[in-house]
Amino acid sequence: MGIANGGIEYDTDHERMAAVARGDLAGMNEIYRNRHRPLFRFFYRLTNRQATAEDLAHEVFLRMIRYRHTYQAEKEGAEAAGAFEAWMYRIARNTLADHARKQRHEVAPGEGELESIASARPTPFETAAKRQDLALLHRALRELPDDKRELLVLTRFQGLSYEQIGRILGCQAGTVKGRVFRAMKELGSIYSELCKEKAS
Amino acid sequence: MMCSHAKELMAAYWQRELAGDDQPALQRHLETCAECSAEMAALGGLWERLADIPAPEPSQALNVRWQSTLESLIPSSVIPSNKPVSRTWPFANLWPSSPAWQAAIALACLLIGIFAGANLPRQNKEIAKLHDEIASTREMVALSLLQQQSATERLRGVDYTGRMQTMEPEVVSALTEAVAHDPSVNVRLAAIDALSKASGSPGVLQSLTQSLPRQDSPMVQAALIDYLVEARDRKALGALRQLAAQPDLNPAVLERTHFALRQLSR
Repeated sequence: MGIANGGIEYDTDHERMAAVARGDLAGMNEIYRNRHRPLFRFFYRLTNRQATAEDLAHEVFLRMIRYRHTYQAEKEGAEAAGAFEAWMYRIARNTLADHARKQRHEVAPGEGELESIASARPTPFETAAKRQDLALLHRALRELPDDKRELLVLTRFQGLSYEQIGRILGCQAGTVKGRVFRAMKELGSIYSELCKEKAS
Repeated sequence: MMCSHAKELMAAYWQRELAGDDQPALQRHLETCAECSAEMAALGGLWERLADIPAPEPSQALNVRWQSTLESLIPSSVIPSNKPVSRTWPFANLWPSSPAWQAAIALACLLIGIFAGANLPRQNKEIAKLHDEIASTREMVALSLLQQQSATERLRGVDYTGRMQTMEPEVVSALTEAVAHDPSVNVRLAAIDALSKASGSPGVLQSLTQSLPRQDSPMVQAALIDYLVEARDRKALGALRQLAAQPDLNPAVLERTHFALRQLSR
């Protein structure tokens, strides 16, 4: 449980952000502590660059403060649950889109994580083959079109429900499920191709 | 059940979101549809293996940067710090508890201060020189940071300029350049705030006025409008009319533009 300005305790980031929207900026520190890791990972999985992911995560917190007045603090109960995530990821997506517009001319991301997976120290339960397989899967993920990769990152890695992703993307949960299936199918095709390439 | 519906249910199953009634329905479909059954097996396995991709970790630099940002935005007294706070200072045990001794030490400090103050005029020139050097270094650091690729570093550069007593023309020029061309909305907004010290300069007003119709962010547009109204810059009327004529202008900005036009036309 976090303590914000004036000793008021808040249970959720929704309540903290509502307080920030009312001018109590101290709650931002608790929000940062709870959210900087997931945000960094979201950006890292989409850009594959450590420094860029950190820059973008930091930028999201700045935008949260800048646009705090746009946070709909009055939501309660079921509506409030997940409201903060939806708002935060909408900001994150806009931040990423702004970044992508500016960086179009840049070269494709490096293979840092791919190499780190392939050369990671094996645990007793891991084999070299499994690590190679994981590296191929990660490469397949990176070769997915941006929108499909983003969808799988939100679903599989960020721990968001289809309902929450629907709120972020502005569509029904059912639509998200259909799109996730198609993204998985395309991932499967790319992965199979990469496996064949490796085998030949 | 149609295959398209079964595919949605498969996605729900992978995410552990399959409702009670849907599970047997999906099971029945998979028993009768070979294609869906094969996809369920192959893609379900892939879904599980995705979780094995290691989770990356942010560096400590992100925390440091955030603390620095937060401290510049909020008085440190209201920020619950991540660091454990030491509530005693190293020589706390040497401080006497008796009020009489405390008063004596305070008096001694006062006398030392008076003595040091009496000798200060001789060092005024040196201190002034030191101040100049600090200002010059600060300017150099700010200009250098404003050239960095990282928006956060450029933001730090703008923050540095805010600490300057007076702004040299190079700094003002770098800030107006940032307002006009910086890709980060936050840097542009911070630069507009920093330029409030130079609001009397006709060059600054002209540059900001010219950049107004080219801005794509409603936040920056609003901040520039406020700046020009504050500066009572009637020369900005043309740019404001040009902005108001933009067809896709944000309604809040349009309202603010009309307000500015009324204010400056008086």
